[in-house]
Parts: sequence; C-alpha cells; structure tokens
Amino acid sequence: MREERAPGLLAGDSLNLRLARRSLGLIALCLVLLPFADLAITTHDPWAELGRMLSGLLHPDLLATESLPHAIALTIGFALWGTLLGMLLGFPLALLFPRSRLLRGGCAFVRAIHELFWALLLLQVFGLSAVTAIAALTIPYAGIFAKVYAEILELTPRAPVDALPEGVGRLSRFVYAELPMVWSRLSSYTRYRFECAMRSSVLLGFVGLPTLGFHLESAFREGRYPEAGALLWLFYLMIASLHLWGHRRLLPWIALGSLFLLGPWPDIDGALLWRFVSVDLWPQPLLEGNWSGLWQWFSEIPDLLPAIGNTLLLGLMGTAGSLVVALLLWPLASRHFGNRPTRMAGKGVLILMRSTPELMLAFIFLLMLGPSMLPAWLALSLHNGALIAFLVARHADAIVPGSHALPASGRYAYELLPRLYGGLLALLFYRAETIIRETALLGMLGIATLGFHIDSSFAYMMFDQAFVLLLITAALNIGVDALARRYRPREIADTPGQHDRPAGEAPC
Amino acid sequence: MRWLVACLLILISTAASAETFRFTAIPDEDQSRLEERFDKVAHYLEDRLGVDVEYVPVKSYSAAVSAFRNDQVQLAWFGGLTGVQARRLVPDSRAIAQGKEDAEFRTYFIANHDSDVDTQGDDLPKNVQGKAFTFGAKTSTSGRLMPEYYIRDQFGAPPKSLFSRVGFSGDHTRTIALVESGTYDIGAVNFKVWDAAVADGRVDTDKVDVIWKTPTYPDYQWTVRGDVDSRYGNGFTDKVRQALLDMHDPKLLESFPREGFIPADNDDYQPIEDVGEKLGLLR
Repeated sequence: MREERAPGLLAGDSLNLRLARRSLGLIALCLVLLPFADLAITTHDPWAELGRMLSGLLHPDLLATESLPHAIALTIGFALWGTLLGMLLGFPLALLFPRSRLLRGGCAFVRAIHELFWALLLLQVFGLSAVTAIAALTIPYAGIFAKVYAEILELTPRAPVDALPEGVGRLSRFVYAELPMVWSRLSSYTRYRFECAMRSSVLLGFVGLPTLGFHLESAFREGRYPEAGALLWLFYLMIASLHLWGHRRLLPWIALGSLFLLGPWPDIDGALLWRFVSVDLWPQPLLEGNWSGLWQWFSEIPDLLPAIGNTLLLGLMGTAGSLVVALLLWPLASRHFGNRPTRMAGKGVLILMRSTPELMLAFIFLLMLGPSMLPAWLALSLHNGALIAFLVARHADAIVPGSHALPASGRYAYELLPRLYGGLLALLFYRAETIIRETALLGMLGIATLGFHIDSSFAYMMFDQAFVLLLITAALNIGVDALARRYRPREIADTPGQHDRPAGEAPC
Repeated sequence: MRWLVACLLILISTAASAETFRFTAIPDEDQSRLEERFDKVAHYLEDRLGVDVEYVPVKSYSAAVSAFRNDQVQLAWFGGLTGVQARRLVPDSRAIAQGKEDAEFRTYFIANHDSDVDTQGDDLPKNVQGKAFTFGAKTSTSGRLMPEYYIRDQFGAPPKSLFSRVGFSGDHTRTIALVESGTYDIGAVNFKVWDAAVADGRVDTDKVDVIWKTPTYPDYQWTVRGDVDSRYGNGFTDKVRQALLDMHDPKLLESFPREGFIPADNDDYQPIEDVGEKLGLLR
C-alpha cells in the first residue's frame, strides 16, 4: 500500500492549486528580478504641474482644438476601415489557418508588431495619409482576425452538418450549416475589435496621423491641459457611447460617409517604394554580401542586450502587476459587492483606467515619481489590470452565490474567486503578449526598451536598424506568446459566460 | 458594392487635380491651431507665387522629413539637423532661407534650484556630473544635437556616463516642466522657447533657471525640393526664396515665431552635418 501523505500548503493536483502555484511562481520570478529594475523615486515638486493637469481635466476647453469634427470623423473612419479590411482579409485566412504552419507564423508575425510601428514603417512610403493609417490597422488586425476567427470556427457544433443529406457541396455546407452556428460569436468579436480599433486609431495620432490623438498628444506635451482634458473626455465619451452610434445598420453609412473625408490619397512613387523595400530596410553590408561587415553593423546597434532585458523585465513586471491590480479591483464593478452608486463609480474608474492611453498614465507617474522604470510599470499594471478586472467582474456577475450569509471578504475568498480565478489567469496570460508589445510604446518615454531604440532609429532615418529591431521585437513577442499559451489554464473551472466569449478577447 | 466602387472612383478622380504647391512648418513652441495660423502664410505665398498653396500640418520633424521625402510637401521649415536629414534623402534639395535668429541660435542649459548646480559661468558647471539630465526631442538640434556636442566637448565623455539618468522629454516646453518639477535636475532647451516662457510668466524662475548658454550655431531653415523649377516653372525656387525674404507682416512671422527671414544655403549647415555625423545621428 502506498503511503498517504498529507498535502503541503501548495502541493496537490487540484486545478486551483496548480493555478495558485503558477501565479505565485510568476510573482516570485518578478520579485527575484526586481533588483535589476531601476525603481528609484526622485521627484521633489510635481504638485504644480499635476495641479495644472487636474484643473485642465476639470475645466476642459472644447473649443481650443481646430477642425475637431474632422479629427473625430477620421478617428472613426480609420478605425472602421481598418477593422473592415482586416476582417475581409482575416476571414479567408482563418479558413486556411489550421492547415498552414506558414500562415500561422505569418499571422503571428504581423500581430507581434504594434500598430504604431506599422504606422511608422508605412509612413515612409505612403506619407501622412489614410493609406498609412488604415493599413497600419488592417495588417495586424488581419493576423488577429485570422487567429481568432479560426479559433471560433473550430468550436462550430457538428450536429447541423451531420444532419445534412449526402452530396451537399462544401460551400453550401459552410454557408448553411456552419456559419450560422458561429455567426453571433464572429460578429460579437468583430464588434469588440472595432472598439480596440478606436483606441488604436487615436494612438495613430501620436505619430502624426490627423486623428484625435494628434491634437491630444500635442496639447498634453505642451501643457495645454484644458484642451487635452477636453479631448480626453471626448474620447471617453466616444468609447462609452459606442453602443449608441456603432449600430450595425448605421456603420455602413458611417463607413461610406467617412470615405469622402479620408483623402487626398497619396500618389505612390514606385521608385521610392521599391527603394524603401529593397534597399532602405536592409543593412548595407548584407546587400553587398559582406558578412564580416554585417557583424560589425550588428555590433553598432546601441545597447541591444540591455534593451531586450529591459523589455522582458518590464513585460514580466507589468504582467505580475496587472495580476495584483486585477485581483484588487474587480470587486469594484461586480454586483456581489457594494451598492449601486459604488458600483457605478467603480465601473467608471475601471473604464477611465483602461481607456486612458498608457503613455499619458506613464507621464503622470513620471512627474510624480521621477524617471525610472516605476512610472511605466505602474502605467502598464493599472491599465491592463483594470481591463482584466472589468472582464472578471462581468464573469462574476453571472455567478449565483450559494450562501448569502458570508461576509464580503468570505464571499470574495471562498465563494467567487475560486470560480473566477482560472478565467482571470487565462485573460492575464493572453494579455502578456500585449503587455510586451506595450513596453515598446513606453520606450518612447525614455525607458531603454527595444521600443525606445526603434523610435530612435526611425527618428534618425536608419530604417535598416529599425527593421532589425522590429524583427527582434516580433520574435520576442512570439516567444512570450508561446510561453504564455503553454502556461495558460486550459481547463477552466465552472465560469458561466466563459464560453460565449471567444478566446482572443483580451489582446486589445 | 457598386456604390463603394463609385465612391472610390470619385475620390481618385478628385485627388488627381492640378498641382498644388504644399508646405509644412512646425513652430518650436505652441503647436496649437496650426492650420489657422499657417493658412495665412499659405495665402501670402499663393499671392506671391501664383500657384495654389496648401499647408500640411505635421506633428514631428521626422514626420515632416517623411512628408518631404514622399513629395507630399515641396517646401518645409525644418530644424537644423532634420533639414540635413531631409536634404540627404532628397537629392538636389536646397536650404533657401533661415530665420534672422537662426544664424545665431543657442541652447540654454537649465537646472532646478534644489539640484545645487552652480549658476552661470563661462562653461557648463563641473558639478552637473551625476545629476539627472533630459534632452528635448531625439532629433532636435537645440534640444539634443548641440547640447550633446558641447557636453562631450567639455567633459570628453558621452552624456550616458556623465549623468545618473538621461531622458528625452520630446519637447522644449516639456523639458522646462520636467526640470521645474524636479523630475530631472538639468535640461537642455531651445533659447527662444525659454525666453518666451519667462516673458509670459509660464515658468517659475525661483525653481528653475539658466546655468549655461552654449555658443551660437545655425538652426531652423526653409528647404525646398530640387525638382520644383521643372514642375512649377523656371525660377520658381528663387521666387519662393524672395517671397520668404519679403515676408514682413508680424502676423505671419509670429507663427514661426521669427522676426524675419534671411538668405541661407546648404553650406551654412555644414557644421550641423559634421556634428551629426560625429555623434552617429547621421550616417
């Protein structure tokens, strides 16, 4: 007879114990590596600037921005066309997705490069035009749609197909027996992606495309806070009212109408395009076939290894931080806690936190805490943590509590969290890839991540260097995604509502 | 679908109308209401040049360089370094005019009072070492290139090994805000932006002040593409230059902001090009 051992605190093979071990492992890894991160607090007097910021947010000046309706229309137009074309490209790819490893690799690659970096690349050939903006959304979105649509199609119930008579063609089978079964999931995911596209479209303004972000970034950068405040409120309002104006019947008309605002379309200079693709993007020694020169070229890329280290470290810290923030914040928006006003306020706070561009959150923390990795860490954790908390609260609301006698803390710890935790962790691990991508953006704040050097390379017009750094970033993202997929909980405890949500909800 | 095609056709046909002369410009501070301000300049140029002139708003100098390279704009108001970048990418393009102030531009090093850096001497004070320092934008001539040059010149070391931290605020106004709040101890800022901020009372000089002024160097300039004569008529470049030199209306000039424009050519920017190459920002 085998000896029965009492399980230790975290030993045992139950699902939640395994999840707990993984989470604690993540946090422990983060703590072990924390000494390598620069987390000094150095500011002494941020209050005057923060006061100006707050007063700007409280006294927004909506009239300060010129051609505001145009910027709003372009923001929506880019988002809509980017999503639409991404969908049109992504859907056929989704059908081939399970069959082609090459295609899966290609999609992972285009997904792994942030929209802003696509925009910076495309900017060089299509200039500041709608082509740049829409393609910068369409390309990564096609990759995302291909993957998520494929995952949804995989879950198609078999029964209607089996019920069909012999000899029904492949196309008819697909259109009549398969597509209708997953239609609502496909469309709800597409709608969700459109919301992401709105955010991305605003971000495109940060590199100079004429969306809301163009004015928002200028105003914020130059300390015109009443204007920045107004634009930020306007952006929150656009996102919050999406269900009102983003109606299925209305969107085609908005799409057509926006077409008239998207021009002028650029004349594409074929020679320039060819030069960019065949010469500018590649290291000179490589084109000359000079291998030792290539090594020399590589060694001249400044601080490559520290940049990779910083990117991974910040990504890890952001992921662990998001976990903590999500655990703390989800009860704010759940029906199981507090009363109606506190929930409304909680939801409001979560929406504000997840909708505010990370770059701005990070800048506020930069003022308060001084230049180090800390502002970026906080910004990433709060933004992503709030986003996950929001979704977890929605899952929680579908749970009917068994015992009403428990106090709130008991409900949280014993009743709800055990049932939500698998879902929470799954969302977090999906999100890890996005967090790594976002570290690249915060590089623009001066933290020397890969993104910082990519931004510099574009600024110095060294496109070959930018391109290689982008490839390294993409490889890193793909690696992190593979790792996250490996440790992502697959067997999720009974979370109602889990199944009406397609897998890719998190990476926005 | 048919509708869509029709709409696309209309769009394409309107895009291919008569050739408009386009320019772009970014003021070194206050980038609000760009179109409103520069449309006036566009009207002025339209009167003088006899072709349609349009202003294209951009947000960063690297975006301006891309637009210039892509022929989306034929004339651009660049910073010193970005002008060199643009002229290297577009063969035969020429610097034709600069601001009166730009022949003798300067960078001010500013410091937060709590950082205990000595005040103004002939050189950058020795005890800036080990402080936190911020540049402006990465390709700004006055916020990055020249301050880095003088730092290396005086200390014989790159900024990274001299200061405890090196940041890129992205903008002169923001550099001032970050040094005033003590986020960074020291910053390098465009002297015109500093003077304007002090004159308007937007900066608290009890908290932050100038510790050193660099020697002068050439900065902002108008650069025009080399192919405009063949596209808009012989002598077009000279007409553009003359129109810029004749711009005396303060309402137009305050957009840049400059007192007026004086002639310039590519050779005036050779020092900037040399420094850019030396620092590895150009290759």
